Amino acid sequence: MTLAPAPGPAGNAVATDSVASVVGLRIHFESKAGRVYAVDGVDFDIRDGETLGLVGETGCGKSVTARSFLRLVPMPPGIHAGGSVLFRPHQRCQHCSGAGCEVCEGTGRLPTSCSKCGGDGCPVCNGTGMETIDLSTLPEKNLREIRGDRIAMIFQDPAKALNPALTVRNQIAEVFYQHRTTDVLERAGLDTSPNPLLRRHVAQRSRLLERALLALPPLRSRRQKIEGVVDDMVAAALAETQIPNPIKVMERYPHELSGGMKQRVMIAQALACNPDLLIADEPTTALDVTVQARIIELIKQLQGRHKSAVLYISHDLSLVRRVCDRVAVMYAGRIVEVGTTEEIFANPLHPYTRGLLAAIPSRTHVRGQLVAIKGTVPELIEPPPSCRFVERCSYAVDVCAEIDPTLEGTEDGHEVACFIHNPPSVAAELPSFSRRTS
Amino acid sequence: MAVETRPLEPAAPFAGALRTRLRRFGEISREVLRNPTTLIGLILIAAMIGMAIFAPLLIEPNTPNPYQMPRDWGAINEPPGTPGHILGTTQQGGDVLYGVIWGARTSLRLSLIVVSITVVIGLVVGSLAGFLGGKIDEFLMRLVDVFLSIPELIFALAIAAVLGPSFGNIILALAAVFWVKYARIIRGQVIHIKQNEYVDAARVIGDSKLRIYMKDVLPNSVTPVVVQATLDMGNVVLIGATLSFIGLAEAGLAEWGVLVSQGQAGISAGRWWASTFPGLMVFLWALAFNLVGDGLRDILDPRTEAKR
Repeated sequence: MTLAPAPGPAGNAVATDSVASVVGLRIHFESKAGRVYAVDGVDFDIRDGETLGLVGETGCGKSVTARSFLRLVPMPPGIHAGGSVLFRPHQRCQHCSGAGCEVCEGTGRLPTSCSKCGGDGCPVCNGTGMETIDLSTLPEKNLREIRGDRIAMIFQDPAKALNPALTVRNQIAEVFYQHRTTDVLERAGLDTSPNPLLRRHVAQRSRLLERALLALPPLRSRRQKIEGVVDDMVAAALAETQIPNPIKVMERYPHELSGGMKQRVMIAQALACNPDLLIADEPTTALDVTVQARIIELIKQLQGRHKSAVLYISHDLSLVRRVCDRVAVMYAGRIVEVGTTEEIFANPLHPYTRGLLAAIPSRTHVRGQLVAIKGTVPELIEPPPSCRFVERCSYAVDVCAEIDPTLEGTEDGHEVACFIHNPPSVAAELPSFSRRTS
Repeated sequence: MAVETRPLEPAAPFAGALRTRLRRFGEISREVLRNPTTLIGLILIAAMIGMAIFAPLLIEPNTPNPYQMPRDWGAINEPPGTPGHILGTTQQGGDVLYGVIWGARTSLRLSLIVVSITVVIGLVVGSLAGFLGGKIDEFLMRLVDVFLSIPELIFALAIAAVLGPSFGNIILALAAVFWVKYARIIRGQVIHIKQNEYVDAARVIGDSKLRIYMKDVLPNSVTPVVVQATLDMGNVVLIGATLSFIGLAEAGLAEWGVLVSQGQAGISAGRWWASTFPGLMVFLWALAFNLVGDGLRDILDPRTEAKR
């Protein structure tokens, strides 16, 4: 690496109410043409219970960022080149065992205090006093406990994200088998530490011989009770997505369902364990526009009930405006602007965001007058240290071609990475800070 | 009639899963029955497997070893239609009908053993290579290439010849030849399937690698294996008969290839029956499994699904 891109924001200003923070994340890909800087120093926080929209055009690294939360980026060819994804998992509310009560404000979840310092604040938890896990270095086994339980994900195309060989029931039951073993046993009215045979069965780890034993009368009734409990849990999860006739849908295979229903099944599976964070990777792109609206409505509604944080990835700005509380705009592997949805749409600061908003068609637009951003997205292979947007920016000044602006806050949490708003502090050492003559 | 108000009894969880499975099975069988060539193949297979299973009832088994041809030295080279020897006898006095019927049993045994061994080996090797990838994949696939570079008949011949003439060695030789195909098929399937988004989705809900393999990758990879296994049920008998024709089975074994080999000397002298009937059986056996294999491929291949 010859060119070191500018580092992330100085200091570790981590908001205490954030459920996850991405800190200086860099994910690169090794390709034949060279190293691709797909995600190159991304910082943002997802606050507890909010919907954060991550917008940007195709190939800007938004999906890679989202996938790195659960370490789904294949390595190799991917390289974790630095930074981390910090996650603050909640625990189940002890007062209502997840059903929702006054203590947990109906969410069924409570923040977990740091296991190192017990909530007083220490370097591990960054002084927040909350249990903080670095997802980018967590061992695979512990990561598996988080996947599907604390962080869930909905994919773009539900037709591809459901295993065609499994019924909807088995598809959703899998989450309970993986994460709710004790719960299933409890609900079945069985001892939570019963013979290992049943426990292994609930976790779906039975060997062939054990399966034969389970089919025998002494264990059979108990096994059937467990299956019944899981069935009820699956039906409840499905019912929450307002799918018509969930008990019938349970026995269907994915190819027997419509696209909207498949996405509902995905959502049911994702929210089955009441996660702290739901990552939605363009969940409506593959759906019809009419179904789209209903799925969006459903996600909003369920989020309101579960109070899960949602990372909503999209390139559809009008959708983001409807769904999200805050928006992070991504361009060529970096975040260029973060702010509340109202701020971003009413007062976009970065030239790229302005360009994007100007490109949204609306009723007031005269036909043929859609504004496009000139130029194309730069190659992400070995990018120069300049601002990534310099080639396409009509406000570019000389300094933009020399160094890359960092994300800096303006008033009320609106952050932008642009020299127009944050003049470089080292301007004296740099070439003239004047309008480029190009 | 009382109207059932509850749509489905949730207290019977197994019934539902079983019902869906039966439904899928029903769909496939209806599809099979709609295709006449597949149906013919199925009937032939049913008849020949029935013949193999009920061989002891159809014809008195030879003692002490029923897989050995009975010798009737009083009736050598009898033509078909001779009382007691409906399909005639060989020049050693073996009853051709006995050879045809017990030969079916030998063939069934041969093909079942060889196909199950090769499918298992192929499944393990192919899955390891495809699922784990990297150096393991590279090593196993080069090994497969070595096996594939030798013509299968010559390779089987060489193995059987080195090990000495016996039926067991024919099984070994065929198994050594046939597993490579499965390894390749499964590797390709696994690599293809593991790129599917539902594999990522399974990782997202916290499944372990082994569980993803067992639940998501394997069940979606086996379809071409089923087709290939059906086709190979025929191919194995064909090549097995070739090997025993050359003389790599024990002499006097009730096997079609052996019988054809014994009878061929007499063809020029007009004694056509000793070779023709067992030869016909080999032909029908291979034909039947190929018809069904092709039919299954058409039905199970998702790309042809749209045509239905």
